[in-house]
Parts: sequence; C-alpha cells; structure tokens
Amino acid sequence: MSTALNQLDTTIQVVTPENIAFDYRVAGPFRRLPAFLLDLAIRIGAFILIVFIINFFTGAGGGGLAVAVILIGWFVSEWFYGGLFEAYWNGQTPGKRMMGLRVLTTDGQPINGLQAVMRNVFRTADMYPMLSLQILGDVPPAYIFPTFFVGLAVMACNRRFQRVGDLVCGTLVVIEEKPWLTEVAKVEDPRTAQLAELLPADFRVSRSMAQTLSSYAERRRYFTPARRREIAGHLGEPLLRRFGLPADTSYDLLLCALYYRTFISDRPEESPRREVPRHHDLAAESNASEGSDP
Amino acid sequence: MKVVELLESRRRHWKTLEQMIDRVQSRRRNRLPPDDLVKFADLYRAACADLALADAYQLPPSTTLYLHRLVGRAHNQLYRSHKFDFRLWGKILLHDVPQSIFRDRCVQLAFCLFWGVFIASAVLAHQQALWPDYAQQMLTEPVISQLESNFSEPLSGRDPNADLAMAGFYIRHNTSIGLKCFVGGLLVIPGLFITVFNAAHLGAAFGYMARPEVTEGLNFFQFVTAHGPFELTAIVLSAGAGLRLGVAWLAPGRWGRMASLRRTAREAMPLMGAAMCMFFLAALIEAFVSPSGLPYWFKALVAIFSSGALLFYFVVLGLPGGPSRATG
Repeated sequence: MSTALNQLDTTIQVVTPENIAFDYRVAGPFRRLPAFLLDLAIRIGAFILIVFIINFFTGAGGGGLAVAVILIGWFVSEWFYGGLFEAYWNGQTPGKRMMGLRVLTTDGQPINGLQAVMRNVFRTADMYPMLSLQILGDVPPAYIFPTFFVGLAVMACNRRFQRVGDLVCGTLVVIEEKPWLTEVAKVEDPRTAQLAELLPADFRVSRSMAQTLSSYAERRRYFTPARRREIAGHLGEPLLRRFGLPADTSYDLLLCALYYRTFISDRPEESPRREVPRHHDLAAESNASEGSDP
Repeated sequence: MKVVELLESRRRHWKTLEQMIDRVQSRRRNRLPPDDLVKFADLYRAACADLALADAYQLPPSTTLYLHRLVGRAHNQLYRSHKFDFRLWGKILLHDVPQSIFRDRCVQLAFCLFWGVFIASAVLAHQQALWPDYAQQMLTEPVISQLESNFSEPLSGRDPNADLAMAGFYIRHNTSIGLKCFVGGLLVIPGLFITVFNAAHLGAAFGYMARPEVTEGLNFFQFVTAHGPFELTAIVLSAGAGLRLGVAWLAPGRWGRMASLRRTAREAMPLMGAAMCMFFLAALIEAFVSPSGLPYWFKALVAIFSSGALLFYFVVLGLPGGPSRATG
C-alpha cells in the first residue's frame, strides 16, 4: 500500500515470523467506547448477581465473610477485570469480543499477563481530570465522575489510537473482523468477450493497472452509465488510441474487456478464433453522447 | 494461471482455515487435536504465502482484504497471549523488587516528600501556636468529630464478623488509594497531589490526636500502632513507583520518551505489586489486631516485628550483592 494511503488509513502492518506482512485496522475511540460500556455493564450485572446469590445463601445482611467477599470481589473487578480477561482470553474481554476487538502489542504480537494487567490499571490515568458534581450544586463530595479527557487527548495525538495505558505497555487495539470472501466480479455482457479478442495479444497489463481494473470491475455496478463513462475515460481514452480501436467504443466496455482478459479468460491466442464482430456493435453504449455533455 | 482458476483452487483451503479458526475460538480450552493442529499450521502458512504473492497473482483488492483479515485472525489464534508465570513472581518480589528499591531515587524522594509533609502537618496540628486553626481547616469539623467518636471508647474488640467485613473494606479501600497514587504518578501532578494530600491529612490526624487535651488520642494511637508500618510504607512505595513513571517520560535521558516509559513501567509494576502485598498485610492487621482488646505491648510487638520485616526486605534483600544474590 502506498505511503499516501497509509497516512490516511488507520491500518498497521504486522510482519509475522513467517515473514509475511499483513494489515490490521486499528480501533478508534468510538469503536472502543461501546466495548468499554459493555464491559462495565457486565461487571455491574455480575456484581449485583453475586450480591444476590450470597445474600440468598447467608440471609439478608450477610455475615462478615459475605461482606468481605463482596468487597474484595468489587476491588478485583474494579482494577483487574480487564487484565485477567485479556491475559486468559488472548487479548479480549467479553465486551471486546462482542465488538470484534483484540489487544496486541505494537509489533502485532500477543500480549503477556503483565501488559494486560498494566494497561487496565492505567485506565485510571485516562479518566483524569475528575469532575466533581459539587460545581453544579450542593451535593456530597462523593459524586466524582471521570471525564476521560486525558485518554481522548492522548488517543487523538498518536496514529495508533493508543490511550495512556497502551502507551505505557506498548499495546494497541485492533479490529478483528470475520472476513467474507467475495466472488470475482463477473462480466455478464457478451460483447466483453468479443472485444477482449480484439485487444492486441502482446499488450501486458501492469500490476498497478490490474489493481485498477479489478477495483473498477468490482465497483462499476454501483455507478450509472454516465458516471462509468466519466471514470473509465481516464484510462479508456488513451488505451483506445493505443489499440487503434474506433473512438466511439465504450470506455466501460473496453475496461471490462481488459479485465476479462486479465482475470477471467484464457489468452486470446489460446482460444479458438471466432469471427471478429463488427465494430459498430461494440459502440452501442457509445461515447458519442459525450459531445453533448457539457 | 488466471485469477479465477487460482481463486477456485484456493477457496477450499481458505474456507477450511476459516472453519478451523471458528472452532478454536468457540472451544473452551482453545485446543485442537494434534492432526488438526498440523493442518491448521499448513493452511495458515499457505494463506500467508497467498497473501505474500497477492500482488504477483494480481488478486483483486477485495480478495487481498479478505486474506489480510483471514491471516490476521489465524495469526491471533496461533500466537496466543502469555498468561501469568507464577513461578517468577516469588523471584521478582523477593529479589528484583528490593534490589531496585534500594537504589531507587524516586522511592527515596517519595519517602522524603511523604514523611516531610506528614511531620510538618503533624507539628502544625499539634502546636496550636503556629497556626491555630490548622487542624480544623485540614481535617474539617465533621472528620474531627467522626475521629473523636470512633475512638471515644477504649479498644475492646468487636465481633469477629465485623472484623472480616472490615478486612474486605480495608483491602479494597487502601489498595485502591495506593493504585491511584501509582497511576496518578504517571501524570505527575495527580500523583504528587494524592501523596501530599494523604500525608497532610494523616499527619494532621496524628498531630491533632497527640494534643494533650484530646482524650481519645490514647485509643487512637493504640489503634494505629500495629498496622502503621506496613500501610505507610506501602503508600510511600506506591507514590515512589508512580513518581518513577512520571520521571521516566519527563526526563528520559538517553532513551526516547515512550521507550523510557515502557521500560520503566515494566520495572515499576512489580514495585506496585510489592506495595499491594503490604496493603494486604496491613489490612489484615488493621482488621484483626488493631481493634482487638489485646494488650498494647502485643500491638507494639506487631509493629516492631513488621518494621523489622520491612527493614530486612529493603536492606538485607535489597543490598546490592546481598545474600539474595546467591539464592536468586
């Protein structure tokens, strides 16, 4: 991928021990916030459930042991919920799993237990500055809310959307999506194959042109004919001149033919040569209307 | 070979790999039978090779994207997070941590800061001549009356149930303060603030209670003696570990700021682990020994014993080339 695209895209490259480089999409704050809220809901839900169960078994009020278990459980879930899950669930908490996120080191390697615990302990640093509700009115000083400004500011200041805890541990959060394999774009128009045979056999499609052709073939069905002509013209016009084809050949059709020859069909010389169609058939979706366009 | 044929021949393998990833992910133990494991590795390597050659094969962008994601998912199932190595913890806590504390300027600085503010605050609260209303301003009236009512009765022990509950409370409350102190140290100002505030607050409470006219003072000192050494040391240690993080990125020396921070954090976290152990011990003493009706000499003995343990930990284990070097 070119550097220009790398600067725009939120992807990182990971080089595996197999010496293969693959891309990951880095997760931004708006993908991670729902995961955080889900985890918070799970924590609170589990806590309430445990309190109910303990109360059920020990009677209302509970013994000292019950209170101690609840308080220590609260402490552990407050500080180590994320760390324990990320260490034992391969970099995921329940919320992250639901949102398709995973924590990795900045090299794309799996994290270790220390990193998992530390990046979660340091979430407290992201919560600063704390906002007291006392600025709004006369409330007890216990109501103090985290604003997460430090975390957001730090995330905005680096390209990998790392919050403070991530920077300290050298970790980042990536999006791990279930991939879907699409079929190669089909070209239904029968004229494509005919035109493909008219193309000079010695013309080699370069790699970048092959990329362009397949991108175009995948996306052309979303465009209107006029838009296709406009887009395909950039490549189609010089190619028509080069191949010596009639100037009124549809650019869209030309690119499809080239795509067909490169990606789908055998080389023209390998297929039995059929009768060459007349040129004006190929110009049905012609560029003649182009003159009337402003 | 044309792309379509190539994709046709590969699709089967990719789909199999995808199914295997799903299976590994849904398994509880994340284990595969040995045969499948070999197959998984083969398929993963094949997918990696396909991705590496995607450009040469002129694969369409959507297929390349698919391969990126497929290889990414397979990579994350193959290379898994390292869990905790509990065998190392003993060595880290008993050897590495005391060794690093011994020569840690930040812990020394935190020690001086905490105790300096503590003593100054205690003196101000005790000597009414210098700043007559200091104790009232620092502690506020409700806290003072709360303190006085808490310690109005001589300590005679409470019911064991309450002791257990309070143990849970102390573990949660005190360790949280320590962790906040540690994490706040990274941002320097919150860390210093929490440290100084705690020192001033505790110092004022001690100073106020030491006033001759405050009759509750006797019970107060009976209460705090036993767990004091562990708890106050743990607070200082958390503050020092946190301060070290702040210094790491403010004055990185020859390192890059981020590299220095990452390196220091790896060393500072075990310090915090040691502090958490101390908080835990302090909480147990505070819950079971401090409020009990045990005679004062016993509580003092606990304090002396815990101070001795701390001295042994910091000085004997911490001495460079000390006896721990041979055993570690």
